[in-house]
Amino acid sequence: MIAEIGFVALSAAFVLAVYATASSAWGGYHERPAWVQSARSAVLLIAGLLTVAVGTLVYSLQQSDFSIAYIAENTDLAMPSYLRLTALWGGQAGSLLFWAWLMSCFVAAVMLGKWEQDRDLMPYFITVATLTTGFFIGVTVFISNPFARLWLPPGTDQLTVAFFPPAGAMLYSVPDGNGLNPLLRHFGMIFHPPTTYLGFTGFVVPYAFAMSALISGRARDDQWIRTSRRWTLVAWGFLSVGLLLGGRWAYDVLGWGGFWGWDPVENAMLLPWLTGTAFLHSVMITERRGMLKLWSVLLIVLTYSLALFGTFITRSGVISSVHAFGKTALGPAFFIFIGITFLGTMALMIKRLDLMKSDHEMESFLSREAAFLLQNVVFLAITFVVFLGTVFPLISEMVTGDKVTVGPPYFKATAGPLFGVLLLLMGVAPMIAWRKQVAARLGNRLMAPVLVSAVVAVFWGYTYESPWVAYPVLWLVVFATLAVLMEFWKGISARMSQGENPVAAFTTLVSLNRRRYGGYFVHLAVIMIGLGFIGEAFFMKQTQGTLAQGESLQIAGYAVRFDTLRQYIGADGRQVTEADTSVLRDGELLATLQPRQDFFSEHGQRVTAPDAYATLGGDVYVILIGWEDIGMGGSTFKVYYNPMITWTWLGSFVLLAGTLVAMWPQRAGRSHRSYVLNPVTPGPKLDAGGAA
Amino acid sequence: MLMTSERAGNGNRPRLRYIVAGISVALMVGLLILLGWGLQNTNAPQPEAGMAPTFSLTSFDGETLALEELRGKVVVINFWASWCIPCRAEADELEAMSRKYRDDVVFIGVDYADTEKGALKFIEEYGLTYFQGPDLGTRISADYRIRGVPETFYVAKNGELRGVKIGPLSPGELEFKILELLDDR
Repeated sequence: MIAEIGFVALSAAFVLAVYATASSAWGGYHERPAWVQSARSAVLLIAGLLTVAVGTLVYSLQQSDFSIAYIAENTDLAMPSYLRLTALWGGQAGSLLFWAWLMSCFVAAVMLGKWEQDRDLMPYFITVATLTTGFFIGVTVFISNPFARLWLPPGTDQLTVAFFPPAGAMLYSVPDGNGLNPLLRHFGMIFHPPTTYLGFTGFVVPYAFAMSALISGRARDDQWIRTSRRWTLVAWGFLSVGLLLGGRWAYDVLGWGGFWGWDPVENAMLLPWLTGTAFLHSVMITERRGMLKLWSVLLIVLTYSLALFGTFITRSGVISSVHAFGKTALGPAFFIFIGITFLGTMALMIKRLDLMKSDHEMESFLSREAAFLLQNVVFLAITFVVFLGTVFPLISEMVTGDKVTVGPPYFKATAGPLFGVLLLLMGVAPMIAWRKQVAARLGNRLMAPVLVSAVVAVFWGYTYESPWVAYPVLWLVVFATLAVLMEFWKGISARMSQGENPVAAFTTLVSLNRRRYGGYFVHLAVIMIGLGFIGEAFFMKQTQGTLAQGESLQIAGYAVRFDTLRQYIGADGRQVTEADTSVLRDGELLATLQPRQDFFSEHGQRVTAPDAYATLGGDVYVILIGWEDIGMGGSTFKVYYNPMITWTWLGSFVLLAGTLVAMWPQRAGRSHRSYVLNPVTPGPKLDAGGAA
Repeated sequence: MLMTSERAGNGNRPRLRYIVAGISVALMVGLLILLGWGLQNTNAPQPEAGMAPTFSLTSFDGETLALEELRGKVVVINFWASWCIPCRAEADELEAMSRKYRDDVVFIGVDYADTEKGALKFIEEYGLTYFQGPDLGTRISADYRIRGVPETFYVAKNGELRGVKIGPLSPGELEFKILELLDDR
């Protein structure tokens, strides 16, 4: 019964999405506010109905209603209830429902927010946003229904999956479900997929604003770009954290190897992140100088399109990946949807090109604007090489008949140096003046950080026996860090000279310029995150050995001693083999680690769970890879020393904090409009039933 | 191209605008054709039974080996790469088993999407002595429809595929499978 309620809610949400799309478009075109108001109510109702649908599925998951095919396929009785909750997004149908729900919540949040500023854009905003949301709802209603039940038609022993019972069929409930894929039975499953989905679905808001501005011909007004920026920041923040959580999960469960593997699906998540980051920068130029408008619109559109593209390749099985959901019936529907979206968006942009003229021309190639533009170009270059590497198997197979896959070496060689250029720009750009910079003055400003960072980098590299290729990278890291810290210091010292104490100076500085200093926090975070990648590329150490009890492996000044091995059956039936190892330094015990291997006999799958002793300098990362009879012969371990990886995880907190600072609304009343902004003339009041 | 389009908008140069629009649309349609074509050819799951797809592989030393010449022997095909961390975990086990069953089982290491330098370093580091060659153009990987590395395929004496392991081998798993296939008549 509960599932039926869910399906009815889902179907009603679909009908309302169709209605809202049509009525908002009609209302917008014919300037009938009542229709738009009605569409708005429909949007809020859709979010409510999808909440009911998600709620019923969660309830049925917790109740282990194995007559529902999705629940029988993705859960079993032995699963703890938190994992049963995660099964909501652990399979195809549920994750699509979850996706549609998140998207509807974002759109509803816009409806609940202030309408005044973007009133003129709202009709078509609703049209575009509900069209997209409606597609995802439609997929769950017609193609991949999470509420479909198992039926036993008369005279056969083959189960049928359908929502409406086939003639004469009996409802069938399996005694126990298949359970979640063992690789997904991890705490990472709670956080990584939802945050990533929040990031992906959140991009629909800036996209719908951009499309609405283009459709209504108001793309010249800058207000919508401002609104889009904040929403992009929200989605971008979630996507960033989602990416990092995915990395952390991969690090904790060895099966996926390392923390970033350049897998097609990981790339698919990175692509919108790259263009989204570029947009967050280009939008500053658009706001301050009225330049790069077309570029900013293009980046918004590209970000959303890449998010859709990523979803398509994950869901359709077009590109093979460990993350892919496998071949499904979704492919053709999705293909038509992205085809319409991409072509429609492009046609609209071409039609409205004239609306997006810049208010100003670039005055000098040595200016903040030019630095930002260069930074944007580099971001797009990375996007291009990653995109090309991801679709290359398809291109080569279509052209030559042979599928050629490029692996991490390609991505590291192409994207790696470009990320280096970004680090350099991150350090230099804030020191360059807007409009025009006198070269000699810039040289003076750069002198100190360049020299100091060079000295530190040489010292650092020498101490850690760095290979020569790492020296420029270390220099870049130190230089970029110094440059960011100098920006903070400049602001703080100016306030301190007016008699403020350092703490007060810092807090006022940040709270008065949230966007700017929030951005700098994010810059620091990016450098911290980069440290883990640099450590992996240049300083990682590894060793392996079969140890009898009491024997040790030596790595990076640490000793890892094998103490004992035990086997037991875990709560969900997994067979656990777990070793006790001790990490020692100079004979002193620092930590006890329990690397283990879990075997899931019903899936025939083994999951390796490493354990790590983490310090700021580096992690001692121990993997149990083999054993003989318990406690007798010995066990084989692989031990890594992963330098600076902890900085990557700490960086994610700083990134989150920085994003929140940048996102936090400034006190009302403060105007941010620069002298070049086009004044926005607010549209006539759009009261319910009133005339626009 | 994108910058040009902005200038095109600025300067009201309709011809340039048409060119830019034309190129953009062509690229977009090209991408859609590519994706649509890809969808038509969507990967089926890995083959697990039937005759193993045949291939010949040239090793890093220049020797060539063809799968169909190995009838009568059990073959273990391991797809790996030097950048793949789980591959490192199973490397020793593969080498140990290849030595132990040298006379009856042929081990083939297929190096996937890798650099030769990296691969040779990996082989040296783990002292791998069984047949190793780069999968040029990732052709073999495509025939076996691998999803990533490591993956290990088992081929019986008659050339039939007898199973695949996705992800790193668990301790003892390889030997268990080898013994099963050696018993096979």
